[in-house]
Amino acid sequence: MHVPDGILPGSVVIAGYAVTGMAAYISLKNINKKENPREDIPKASILTAAFLVASLIHVPIPPVSVHLALNGIMGVLLGYYAFPAIIISLFFQAVLFGHGGLTTLGINSVILGLPAFISFFIYNNSKSFVKGNRFRLGLVGFVVGGLALGLSVLIFFLILVNFIPANIDVVAEKQAIYTLSIAHIPLVIIEGIFTAFLFIYLKKVQPRLMGLDEKVSN
Amino acid sequence: MWLDKYCDFDTVIHNWEPRVKIIGLMTLIFTFAFISTLKLIPFIVVISLSVYLLSGLPFSFLFSRLRIPGFFLIIMLVLLVFISKGTVLFKLGPLAVKEEGLLSSLLIGGRFLSILTLIIVLFGTSSFTENIKAMRSLGLPVIFADMMTFTYRYFFEISKDLSNMSHSMSLRGFKPMNYKELPTLASMTGTIFVRSFDQSERVFSAMTIRGYGQVMTFRNNTKIYPRDIALLLIALAFSLALIITQLYLKN
Repeated sequence: MHVPDGILPGSVVIAGYAVTGMAAYISLKNINKKENPREDIPKASILTAAFLVASLIHVPIPPVSVHLALNGIMGVLLGYYAFPAIIISLFFQAVLFGHGGLTTLGINSVILGLPAFISFFIYNNSKSFVKGNRFRLGLVGFVVGGLALGLSVLIFFLILVNFIPANIDVVAEKQAIYTLSIAHIPLVIIEGIFTAFLFIYLKKVQPRLMGLDEKVSN
Repeated sequence: MWLDKYCDFDTVIHNWEPRVKIIGLMTLIFTFAFISTLKLIPFIVVISLSVYLLSGLPFSFLFSRLRIPGFFLIIMLVLLVFISKGTVLFKLGPLAVKEEGLLSSLLIGGRFLSILTLIIVLFGTSSFTENIKAMRSLGLPVIFADMMTFTYRYFFEISKDLSNMSHSMSLRGFKPMNYKELPTLASMTGTIFVRSFDQSERVFSAMTIRGYGQVMTFRNNTKIYPRDIALLLIALAFSLALIITQLYLKN
Protein backbone atom coordinates (compact mmCIF):
# COMPACT_ATOMS: atom_id res chain seq x y z
CA MET A 1 0.00 0.00 0.00
CA HIS A 2 2.98 2.26 -0.59
CA VAL A 3 3.39 4.44 -3.66
CA PRO A 4 7.06 4.31 -4.70
CA ASP A 5 9.13 7.32 -5.81
CA GLY A 6 8.88 8.45 -9.41
CA ILE A 7 5.39 7.13 -10.12
CA LEU A 8 3.26 10.20 -9.46
CA PRO A 9 3.59 13.62 -11.11
CA GLY A 10 5.19 16.45 -9.11
CA SER A 11 1.92 18.32 -8.52
CA VAL A 12 0.33 15.27 -6.83
CA VAL A 13 3.47 14.77 -4.73
CA ILE A 14 3.25 18.39 -3.52
CA ALA A 15 -0.51 18.08 -2.88
CA GLY A 16 0.22 14.97 -0.77
CA TYR A 17 2.74 16.93 1.30
CA ALA A 18 0.23 19.79 1.72
CA VAL A 19 -2.49 17.48 3.10
CA THR A 20 0.05 15.64 5.29
CA GLY A 21 1.42 18.96 6.57
CA MET A 22 -2.08 20.05 7.53
CA ALA A 23 -2.89 16.75 9.28
CA ALA A 24 0.49 16.82 11.08
CA TYR A 25 -0.18 20.41 12.17
CA ILE A 26 -3.58 19.41 13.63
CA SER A 27 -1.96 16.45 15.42
CA LEU A 28 0.90 18.56 16.86
CA LYS A 29 -1.55 21.29 17.91
CA ASN A 30 -3.57 18.75 19.91
CA ILE A 31 -0.42 17.12 21.34
CA ASN A 32 0.93 20.54 22.42
CA LYS A 33 -2.29 21.24 24.35
CA LYS A 34 -1.05 18.75 26.96
CA GLU A 35 0.70 20.06 30.06
CA ASN A 36 3.88 18.18 29.12
CA PRO A 37 3.72 17.39 25.39
CA ARG A 38 6.98 15.38 25.52
CA GLU A 39 5.65 13.06 28.22
CA ASP A 40 4.11 10.59 25.77
CA ILE A 41 6.92 10.74 23.22
CA PRO A 42 8.82 7.64 24.50
CA LYS A 43 5.58 5.64 24.54
CA ALA A 44 4.53 6.82 21.07
CA SER A 45 8.02 6.25 19.63
CA ILE A 46 8.57 2.79 21.07
CA LEU A 47 5.09 1.79 19.92
CA THR A 48 5.92 3.23 16.48
CA ALA A 49 9.00 0.98 16.41
CA ALA A 50 6.77 -1.92 17.52
CA PHE A 51 4.32 -1.18 14.68
CA LEU A 52 7.21 -1.05 12.25
CA VAL A 53 8.34 -4.48 13.46
CA ALA A 54 4.79 -5.89 13.59
CA SER A 55 4.21 -4.83 9.99
CA LEU A 56 6.95 -7.32 9.04
CA ILE A 57 4.97 -10.29 10.43
CA HIS A 58 3.73 -12.55 7.63
CA VAL A 59 0.11 -13.65 7.88
CA PRO A 60 -0.47 -16.82 5.84
CA ILE A 61 -3.32 -16.70 3.34
CA PRO A 62 -2.56 -19.77 1.20
CA PRO A 63 -1.02 -19.82 -1.36
CA VAL A 64 0.62 -16.51 -0.35
CA SER A 65 1.40 -14.62 2.85
CA VAL A 66 0.70 -10.94 3.44
CA HIS A 67 1.84 -8.13 5.70
CA LEU A 68 -0.72 -6.23 7.73
CA ALA A 69 -1.16 -2.45 7.52
CA LEU A 70 -2.16 -2.04 11.22
CA ASN A 71 -3.09 1.61 10.66
CA GLY A 72 -6.46 1.14 12.40
CA ILE A 73 -4.90 -0.11 15.64
CA MET A 74 -2.23 2.58 15.35
CA GLY A 75 -4.98 5.21 15.40
CA VAL A 76 -6.60 3.57 18.44
CA LEU A 77 -3.41 3.12 20.51
CA LEU A 78 -1.65 6.37 19.64
CA GLY A 79 -4.51 8.85 19.20
CA TYR A 80 -3.14 12.20 18.01
CA TYR A 81 0.36 10.70 17.91
CA ALA A 82 -0.84 8.27 15.22
CA PHE A 83 -0.34 10.61 12.28
CA PRO A 84 3.24 11.62 13.23
CA ALA A 85 3.90 7.93 13.98
CA ILE A 86 2.66 6.92 10.52
CA ILE A 87 4.84 9.59 8.85
CA ILE A 88 7.86 8.31 10.79
CA SER A 89 7.04 4.63 10.06
CA LEU A 90 6.72 5.41 6.36
CA PHE A 91 9.97 7.39 6.43
CA PHE A 92 11.80 4.41 7.94
CA GLN A 93 10.10 1.94 5.62
CA ALA A 94 11.27 4.08 2.68
CA VAL A 95 14.87 4.49 3.79
CA LEU A 96 15.40 1.12 5.53
CA PHE A 97 13.50 -1.29 3.28
CA GLY A 98 12.80 0.71 0.12
CA HIS A 99 9.00 0.40 0.60
CA GLY A 100 7.34 3.62 -0.55
CA GLY A 101 9.49 6.68 -1.06
CA LEU A 102 10.59 10.08 0.17
CA THR A 103 8.88 12.18 -2.48
CA THR A 104 5.72 10.10 -1.98
CA LEU A 105 5.96 10.24 1.82
CA GLY A 106 3.18 12.86 1.87
CA ILE A 107 0.79 10.90 -0.31
CA ASN A 108 1.53 7.60 1.52
CA SER A 109 0.89 9.33 4.86
CA VAL A 110 -2.52 10.46 3.54
CA ILE A 111 -3.30 6.89 2.38
CA LEU A 112 -2.55 5.30 5.78
CA GLY A 113 -2.90 8.27 8.15
CA LEU A 114 -6.38 9.61 7.38
CA PRO A 115 -8.02 6.17 7.94
CA ALA A 116 -6.03 5.95 11.22
CA PHE A 117 -7.58 9.26 12.32
CA ILE A 118 -11.05 7.90 11.45
CA SER A 119 -10.33 4.70 13.43
CA PHE A 120 -9.31 6.79 16.44
CA PHE A 121 -12.60 8.70 16.37
CA ILE A 122 -14.71 5.55 15.81
CA TYR A 123 -13.01 3.79 18.72
CA ASN A 124 -13.36 6.78 21.04
CA ASN A 125 -17.07 7.04 20.28
CA SER A 126 -17.70 3.32 20.66
CA LYS A 127 -16.44 2.97 24.23
CA SER A 128 -19.99 3.30 25.59
CA PHE A 129 -21.16 0.60 23.13
CA VAL A 130 -18.42 -1.82 24.24
CA LYS A 131 -19.32 -1.51 27.96
CA GLY A 132 -16.78 -4.17 28.92
CA ASN A 133 -18.28 -6.81 26.64
CA ARG A 134 -15.66 -8.96 24.91
CA PHE A 135 -17.75 -9.72 21.82
CA ARG A 136 -18.60 -6.05 21.30
CA LEU A 137 -14.95 -5.11 21.73
CA GLY A 138 -14.00 -7.65 19.06
CA LEU A 139 -16.71 -6.25 16.79
CA VAL A 140 -15.37 -2.71 17.19
CA GLY A 141 -11.86 -4.07 16.51
CA PHE A 142 -13.08 -5.76 13.33
CA VAL A 143 -14.76 -2.55 12.11
CA VAL A 144 -11.81 -0.34 13.04
CA GLY A 145 -9.16 -2.63 11.47
CA GLY A 146 -11.15 -3.55 8.37
CA LEU A 147 -12.44 -0.04 7.70
CA ALA A 148 -8.98 1.53 8.04
CA LEU A 149 -7.46 -0.89 5.55
CA GLY A 150 -10.49 -0.69 3.24
CA LEU A 151 -10.27 3.11 3.09
CA SER A 152 -6.51 2.96 2.54
CA VAL A 153 -6.96 0.51 -0.36
CA LEU A 154 -9.61 2.75 -1.91
CA ILE A 155 -7.52 5.95 -1.61
CA PHE A 156 -4.43 4.09 -2.89
CA PHE A 157 -6.07 2.80 -6.05
CA LEU A 158 -7.94 6.04 -6.73
CA ILE A 159 -4.66 7.98 -6.56
CA LEU A 160 -2.71 5.43 -8.57
CA VAL A 161 -5.20 5.01 -11.38
CA ASN A 162 -6.14 8.70 -11.65
CA PHE A 163 -2.72 10.30 -11.38
CA ILE A 164 -0.29 7.84 -12.91
CA PRO A 165 1.24 9.62 -15.93
CA ALA A 166 -0.09 7.21 -18.53
CA ASN A 167 -2.88 7.44 -21.00
CA ILE A 168 -4.96 4.62 -19.55
CA ASP A 169 -8.20 3.63 -21.21
CA VAL A 170 -11.22 4.91 -19.20
CA VAL A 171 -12.94 1.51 -19.28
CA ALA A 172 -9.67 -0.22 -18.31
CA GLU A 173 -9.23 2.35 -15.53
CA LYS A 174 -12.67 1.64 -14.04
CA GLN A 175 -12.12 -2.10 -14.38
CA ALA A 176 -8.71 -1.80 -12.71
CA ILE A 177 -10.12 0.08 -9.67
CA TYR A 178 -13.03 -2.35 -9.42
CA THR A 179 -10.93 -5.51 -9.82
CA LEU A 180 -8.11 -4.41 -7.53
CA SER A 181 -10.53 -3.23 -4.83
CA ILE A 182 -12.47 -6.53 -4.98
CA ALA A 183 -9.17 -8.45 -4.83
CA HIS A 184 -8.36 -6.70 -1.55
CA ILE A 185 -11.64 -7.61 0.21
CA PRO A 186 -10.17 -10.83 1.72
CA LEU A 187 -7.25 -8.77 3.07
CA VAL A 188 -9.67 -6.25 4.59
CA ILE A 189 -11.53 -9.10 6.32
CA ILE A 190 -8.27 -10.68 7.55
CA GLU A 191 -7.07 -7.30 8.88
CA GLY A 192 -10.44 -6.85 10.63
CA ILE A 193 -10.34 -10.31 12.26
CA PHE A 194 -6.69 -9.82 13.26
CA THR A 195 -7.46 -6.43 14.84
CA ALA A 196 -10.45 -7.96 16.69
CA PHE A 197 -8.20 -10.64 18.25
CA LEU A 198 -5.57 -8.01 19.00
CA PHE A 199 -8.14 -5.79 20.77
CA ILE A 200 -9.32 -8.69 22.93
CA TYR A 201 -5.73 -9.68 23.77
CA LEU A 202 -4.67 -6.14 24.68
CA LYS A 203 -7.79 -5.57 26.78
CA LYS A 204 -7.05 -8.76 28.71
CA VAL A 205 -3.31 -8.21 29.19
CA GLN A 206 -2.77 -4.44 29.25
CA PRO A 207 -6.07 -2.48 29.19
CA ARG A 208 -4.27 0.81 29.92
CA LEU A 209 -2.72 0.61 26.46
CA MET A 210 -6.19 0.95 24.99
CA GLY A 211 -7.26 3.70 27.35
CA LEU A 212 -9.63 1.33 29.17
CA ASP A 213 -9.46 0.07 32.72
CA GLU A 214 -12.59 -1.95 33.28
CA LYS A 215 -12.59 -5.75 33.09
CA VAL A 216 -14.09 -7.44 30.06
CA SER A 217 -16.77 -10.07 30.57
CA ASN A 218 -16.55 -13.29 28.57
CA MET B 1 19.52 -3.11 7.20
CA TRP B 2 21.56 -0.30 8.78
CA LEU B 3 21.31 2.81 6.67
CA ASP B 4 24.55 4.37 7.66
CA LYS B 5 26.97 1.43 7.64
CA TYR B 6 29.18 3.21 5.06
CA CYS B 7 28.94 6.69 6.62
CA ASP B 8 32.59 6.81 7.72
CA PHE B 9 34.09 6.96 4.20
CA ASP B 10 36.18 10.00 3.27
CA THR B 11 34.64 11.31 0.05
CA VAL B 12 33.41 14.70 -1.12
CA ILE B 13 29.77 13.63 -0.50
CA HIS B 14 30.54 12.17 2.95
CA ASN B 15 32.30 15.41 3.94
CA TRP B 16 29.42 17.58 2.70
CA GLU B 17 27.87 19.30 5.75
CA PRO B 18 24.60 17.37 6.50
CA ARG B 19 22.30 20.43 6.59
CA VAL B 20 23.55 21.71 3.25
CA LYS B 21 23.58 18.16 1.84
CA ILE B 22 19.92 17.66 2.79
CA ILE B 23 18.92 20.93 1.07
CA GLY B 24 21.00 20.20 -2.04
CA LEU B 25 20.01 16.56 -2.55
CA MET B 26 16.35 17.06 -1.57
CA THR B 27 16.11 19.89 -4.15
CA LEU B 28 17.47 17.51 -6.78
CA ILE B 29 15.14 14.69 -5.63
CA PHE B 30 12.03 16.91 -5.89
CA THR B 31 13.21 18.30 -9.24
CA PHE B 32 13.47 14.72 -10.51
CA ALA B 33 9.91 14.08 -9.28
CA PHE B 34 8.74 16.98 -11.46
CA ILE B 35 10.41 15.69 -14.65
CA SER B 36 7.71 14.71 -17.10
CA THR B 37 9.70 14.79 -20.36
CA LEU B 38 11.23 11.51 -21.45
CA LYS B 39 14.16 13.30 -23.14
CA LEU B 40 15.40 14.45 -19.71
CA ILE B 41 15.36 10.99 -18.15
CA PRO B 42 18.87 9.99 -19.38
CA PHE B 43 20.21 13.23 -17.84
CA ILE B 44 18.70 12.64 -14.40
CA VAL B 45 19.90 9.01 -14.42
CA VAL B 46 23.43 10.21 -15.27
CA ILE B 47 23.31 12.94 -12.57
CA SER B 48 22.18 10.50 -9.87
CA LEU B 49 24.68 7.80 -10.85
CA SER B 50 27.48 10.42 -10.91
CA VAL B 51 26.55 11.51 -7.38
CA TYR B 52 26.53 7.84 -6.36
CA LEU B 53 30.00 7.29 -7.87
CA LEU B 54 31.27 10.41 -6.07
CA SER B 55 29.92 9.04 -2.79
CA GLY B 56 32.08 5.92 -3.15
CA LEU B 57 29.24 3.69 -1.85
CA PRO B 58 29.48 0.13 -3.19
CA PHE B 59 27.10 -0.74 -6.04
CA SER B 60 26.08 -3.94 -4.21
CA PHE B 61 24.54 -1.62 -1.58
CA LEU B 62 22.49 0.16 -4.28
CA PHE B 63 21.33 -3.14 -5.83
CA SER B 64 20.33 -4.59 -2.46
CA ARG B 65 18.21 -1.47 -1.81
CA LEU B 66 16.64 -1.57 -5.27
CA ARG B 67 15.55 -5.21 -5.08
CA ILE B 68 12.28 -4.94 -3.12
CA PRO B 69 10.81 -1.70 -4.55
CA GLY B 70 12.11 -2.64 -8.00
CA PHE B 71 10.05 -5.84 -7.97
CA PHE B 72 6.77 -3.96 -7.32
CA LEU B 73 7.66 -1.32 -9.88
CA ILE B 74 8.55 -3.78 -12.65
CA ILE B 75 5.14 -5.48 -12.29
CA MET B 76 3.42 -2.10 -12.53
CA LEU B 77 5.48 -0.90 -15.48
CA VAL B 78 4.85 -4.13 -17.40
CA LEU B 79 1.10 -3.73 -16.75
CA LEU B 80 1.25 -0.11 -17.97
CA VAL B 81 2.78 -1.20 -21.29
CA PHE B 82 -0.32 -3.30 -21.98
CA ILE B 83 -3.24 -1.36 -20.43
CA SER B 84 -2.34 2.08 -21.80
CA LYS B 85 -4.36 3.63 -24.60
CA GLY B 86 -2.56 4.41 -27.87
CA THR B 87 -0.59 3.12 -30.83
CA VAL B 88 0.03 -0.62 -30.94
CA LEU B 89 3.74 -1.30 -31.47
CA PHE B 90 3.50 -5.09 -31.69
CA LYS B 91 1.44 -7.96 -30.28
CA LEU B 92 2.44 -10.65 -27.82
CA GLY B 93 -0.30 -13.22 -28.29
CA PRO B 94 -3.56 -11.61 -27.08
CA LEU B 95 -1.67 -8.67 -25.51
CA ALA B 96 -0.76 -5.51 -27.43
CA VAL B 97 2.34 -3.50 -26.50
CA LYS B 98 1.39 0.20 -26.69
CA GLU B 99 3.88 2.92 -27.57
CA GLU B 100 2.47 5.39 -25.01
CA GLY B 101 2.57 2.73 -22.29
CA LEU B 102 6.18 1.92 -23.08
CA LEU B 103 7.18 5.61 -22.96
CA SER B 104 5.33 6.11 -19.64
CA SER B 105 7.08 3.06 -18.20
CA LEU B 106 10.50 4.42 -19.22
CA LEU B 107 9.66 7.81 -17.69
CA ILE B 108 8.48 6.31 -14.39
CA GLY B 109 11.31 3.76 -14.22
CA GLY B 110 13.98 6.40 -14.89
CA ARG B 111 12.58 8.78 -12.28
CA PHE B 112 12.29 5.98 -9.73
CA LEU B 113 15.89 4.83 -10.26
CA SER B 114 17.29 8.38 -10.05
CA ILE B 115 15.32 9.37 -6.94
CA LEU B 116 16.09 6.15 -5.06
CA THR B 117 19.80 6.45 -5.89
CA LEU B 118 19.94 9.96 -4.41
CA ILE B 119 17.98 8.88 -1.31
CA ILE B 120 20.54 6.12 -0.70
CA VAL B 121 23.37 8.67 -1.07
CA LEU B 122 21.61 11.14 1.26
CA PHE B 123 21.06 8.68 4.10
CA GLY B 124 24.05 6.45 3.44
CA THR B 125 26.76 9.10 3.66
CA SER B 126 25.96 10.66 7.08
CA SER B 127 25.19 8.92 10.34
CA PHE B 128 21.53 8.77 11.30
CA THR B 129 22.15 11.02 14.32
CA GLU B 130 23.83 13.65 12.13
CA ASN B 131 20.88 13.61 9.76
CA ILE B 132 18.36 14.01 12.59
CA LYS B 133 20.37 16.91 14.06
CA ALA B 134 20.54 18.51 10.62
CA MET B 135 16.79 18.10 10.07
CA ARG B 136 16.16 19.55 13.55
CA SER B 137 18.31 22.59 12.64
CA LEU B 138 16.34 22.95 9.43
CA GLY B 139 13.08 23.25 11.37
CA LEU B 140 11.84 19.70 12.01
CA PRO B 141 9.50 19.97 15.05
CA VAL B 142 11.01 18.64 18.28
CA ILE B 143 8.27 15.99 18.63
CA PHE B 144 9.17 14.53 15.22
CA ALA B 145 12.93 14.69 15.92
CA ASP B 146 12.54 12.93 19.28
CA MET B 147 10.16 10.31 17.89
CA MET B 148 12.48 9.56 14.97
CA THR B 149 15.48 9.12 17.25
CA PHE B 150 13.63 6.82 19.66
CA THR B 151 12.01 4.81 16.88
CA TYR B 152 15.37 4.20 15.20
CA ARG B 153 16.94 3.35 18.56
CA TYR B 154 14.27 0.76 19.51
CA PHE B 155 13.41 -0.65 16.09
CA PHE B 156 16.40 -3.01 16.04
CA GLU B 157 15.85 -4.07 19.65
CA ILE B 158 12.17 -4.88 19.09
CA SER B 159 13.07 -6.69 15.83
CA LYS B 160 15.39 -8.90 17.85
CA ASP B 161 12.56 -9.55 20.37
CA LEU B 162 10.24 -10.59 17.55
CA SER B 163 12.90 -12.84 16.08
CA ASN B 164 13.44 -14.52 19.50
CA MET B 165 9.68 -14.94 19.99
CA SER B 166 9.22 -16.47 16.51
CA HIS B 167 12.14 -18.81 17.16
CA SER B 168 10.74 -19.90 20.55
CA MET B 169 7.29 -20.45 19.06
CA SER B 170 8.65 -22.54 16.20
CA LEU B 171 10.68 -24.63 18.67
CA ARG B 172 7.38 -25.35 20.45
CA GLY B 173 5.86 -26.55 17.18
CA PHE B 174 4.09 -23.40 15.94
CA LYS B 175 4.07 -23.16 12.15
CA PRO B 176 1.85 -20.42 10.70
CA MET B 177 0.48 -22.33 7.72
CA ASN B 178 -3.04 -20.92 7.34
CA TYR B 179 -5.54 -18.34 8.56
CA LYS B 180 -6.48 -20.53 11.57
CA GLU B 181 -3.28 -19.30 13.22
CA LEU B 182 -4.57 -15.70 13.24
CA PRO B 183 -5.40 -15.63 17.00
CA THR B 184 -1.86 -16.83 17.84
CA LEU B 185 -0.28 -14.28 15.49
CA ALA B 186 -2.49 -11.56 16.99
CA SER B 187 -1.37 -12.57 20.50
CA MET B 188 2.29 -12.48 19.36
CA THR B 189 1.77 -8.97 17.92
CA GLY B 190 -0.07 -7.95 21.09
CA THR B 191 2.84 -9.21 23.19
CA ILE B 192 5.21 -6.97 21.20
CA PHE B 193 2.95 -3.96 21.90
CA VAL B 194 2.58 -4.79 25.61
CA ARG B 195 6.33 -5.30 26.10
CA SER B 196 7.05 -2.08 24.19
CA PHE B 197 4.49 -0.18 26.27
CA ASP B 198 5.99 -1.45 29.55
CA GLN B 199 9.48 -0.64 28.28
CA SER B 200 8.40 2.89 27.26
CA GLU B 201 7.23 3.59 30.82
CA ARG B 202 10.61 2.50 32.23
CA VAL B 203 12.46 4.51 29.57
CA PHE B 204 10.40 7.64 30.30
CA SER B 205 11.08 7.39 34.04
CA ALA B 206 14.82 6.90 33.44
CA MET B 207 14.91 9.83 31.02
CA THR B 208 12.95 12.15 33.32
CA ILE B 209 15.51 11.52 36.07
CA ARG B 210 18.21 12.58 33.57
CA GLY B 211 16.41 15.82 32.74
CA TYR B 212 14.33 14.88 29.68
CA GLY B 213 11.46 17.30 29.02
CA GLN B 214 13.23 20.35 30.44
CA VAL B 215 13.29 23.44 28.22
CA MET B 216 16.59 23.52 26.37
CA THR B 217 17.98 25.37 23.42
CA PHE B 218 19.17 23.35 20.48
CA ARG B 219 22.41 24.29 18.72
CA ASN B 220 24.06 22.60 15.81
CA ASN B 221 27.80 23.18 16.09
CA THR B 222 28.92 21.82 12.73
CA LYS B 223 30.54 24.44 10.50
CA ILE B 224 29.58 25.19 6.94
CA TYR B 225 32.62 25.65 4.68
CA PRO B 226 32.79 27.29 1.22
CA ARG B 227 33.09 23.83 -0.40
CA ASP B 228 29.70 22.87 1.13
CA ILE B 229 28.11 25.97 -0.41
CA ALA B 230 29.85 25.24 -3.74
CA LEU B 231 28.33 21.72 -3.81
CA LEU B 232 24.92 23.17 -2.93
CA LEU B 233 25.19 25.71 -5.76
CA ILE B 234 26.08 22.92 -8.21
CA ALA B 235 23.01 20.92 -7.09
CA LEU B 236 20.77 24.01 -7.38
CA ALA B 237 22.24 24.85 -10.81
CA PHE B 238 21.41 21.31 -12.08
CA SER B 239 17.87 21.59 -10.69
CA LEU B 240 17.33 24.97 -12.31
CA ALA B 241 18.78 23.78 -15.62
CA LEU B 242 16.46 20.74 -15.61
CA ILE B 243 13.38 22.85 -14.85
CA ILE B 244 14.22 25.45 -17.55
CA THR B 245 14.95 22.71 -20.12
CA GLN B 246 11.67 20.98 -19.31
CA LEU B 247 9.72 24.22 -19.71
CA TYR B 248 11.54 24.90 -23.00
CA LEU B 249 10.87 21.38 -24.34
CA LYS B 250 7.18 21.56 -23.37
CA ASN B 251 6.71 24.85 -25.18
